[in-house]
Amino acid sequence: MNLAFETVSYGVDETSILTDISLSVGAGEVVTVIGPSGAGKTTLLRLAALFERPTAGTVRCDGTDPWALSRDERLTLRRRIGMVFQRASLFETSVARNVDVGRRVRRPWAERLRGFGRRLVGRLRRDGPTVDDRALEALELVGLEDAWDRDAGSLSGGEAQRVSFARALAAEPDLLVLDEPTSDLDPRNTAILERAIDRARERGHGVLLATHDMHQAERISDRVAFLLEGELVETGPATRVFENPRDERTARFVRGDLLYDENELLA
Amino acid sequence: MPLDALSDPTYLRSIIRLSLTVSLVAVLVSTVLSLPIAFAVGFADFRGKRFVTAVINTGMGFPSVVVGLLVWYVLSNQGPLGTLNLIYTPEAMIISQCVLAAPVITGVALSAVESVDDAVRDAAYGVGGTRADVALITLKEARYGVITGILAGFGRAISEVGSVLIVGGNIAYADGTSKTRTLTTAIQFEVRKGEFEVALILGAVLLVLVLLVNGIVLRLGGR
Repeated sequence: MNLAFETVSYGVDETSILTDISLSVGAGEVVTVIGPSGAGKTTLLRLAALFERPTAGTVRCDGTDPWALSRDERLTLRRRIGMVFQRASLFETSVARNVDVGRRVRRPWAERLRGFGRRLVGRLRRDGPTVDDRALEALELVGLEDAWDRDAGSLSGGEAQRVSFARALAAEPDLLVLDEPTSDLDPRNTAILERAIDRARERGHGVLLATHDMHQAERISDRVAFLLEGELVETGPATRVFENPRDERTARFVRGDLLYDENELLA
Repeated sequence: MPLDALSDPTYLRSIIRLSLTVSLVAVLVSTVLSLPIAFAVGFADFRGKRFVTAVINTGMGFPSVVVGLLVWYVLSNQGPLGTLNLIYTPEAMIISQCVLAAPVITGVALSAVESVDDAVRDAAYGVGGTRADVALITLKEARYGVITGILAGFGRAISEVGSVLIVGGNIAYADGTSKTRTLTTAIQFEVRKGEFEVALILGAVLLVLVLLVNGIVLRLGGR
């Protein structure tokens, strides 16, 4: 899927959050949005995942404006996009059922009802848990294939976020939208997730990632977009943006200067 | 012999059957009515939401005798629904138990639904869920609270004396079987007769029934 922001703006009431954003993500490409807290990264990602409708401009999926479609047609497009949030937000069930939820919601209601009935009977008969091959495959990608029968509540924060990534991937979306997925993770879990992102890219998934971590952005991105106070300051190939930024503000952010407001720290 | 009343198992069986039928039907109907209300209020953001929540919470403390009196008035011959001839029938008892159980189920379920993190709803939407899927997943996340609400509603219904006595009349047929006599009204009746042993045995049966229903529901709910 090719996702394109065309002069997109978004605001709530009188407050503008994003202004004139133009950005695209293609298949097999990792585009990373960097920027300080409050720059509008999460809002941009929610617009990309069709959670929100732009107040101006258009977010196009393969050339189509999803918000000009019916709700069912938009759902079809939305289901080609998988989102991972900063917090894992796993459901209170087993790891396998968490990973499989995207595929379950795509099944017809009759089939889902039959599955519910079978699970209820299985619970009464004390049948053991089962796992689907596709869910196992997604878990393998994040190195948690042995954890499929564990309760999601028993996972560590890092494991939970990896399962959250597997959950998005198991539904086989064309585009993965990842909102700071490693911000709360230790280096090991971060490395595992970065490798999984890399493998997803190799499989042809497009990835739109938001991160605070400059090193991560440099490591895994094909292109980088620097967002500041709701405006895209600079977009370009990762190596070029990090080594030779064209805008002074990007240069300062990459150096770490813009991360801190000295006046705020002194206040 | 003080335990004469229980020498005929038909008597006890008919009371147990009626108690369970009336309470289970009342809880079923209340659940069907209450959960959509709990979800609608829990999901929506509207003016007056706090007032609606306060009304629901107030309903949880309705005095059962007052409810019985109101239902009796509505169903009595002079009342608006008098032509239905429901007074002193199990159906009247079901209606009065519904009025008592519904606010309990709605209130506890509403609290459970509201306690589900917004992030969970976002996650359900993010995996490609429709509004119905998001509602179902939220219901599943809130299931222990919702089950607690249903069990609390069942507890309120089956332990009810005042209102079922007023609208049911505690009637037994000439052959001793129950028309509108439940375990609770039978206990009250036996105590008034001075048959404390019988009342105690009926009380123990009531406790066992409540325990059984709780056990089955919790087992089905996965706890």
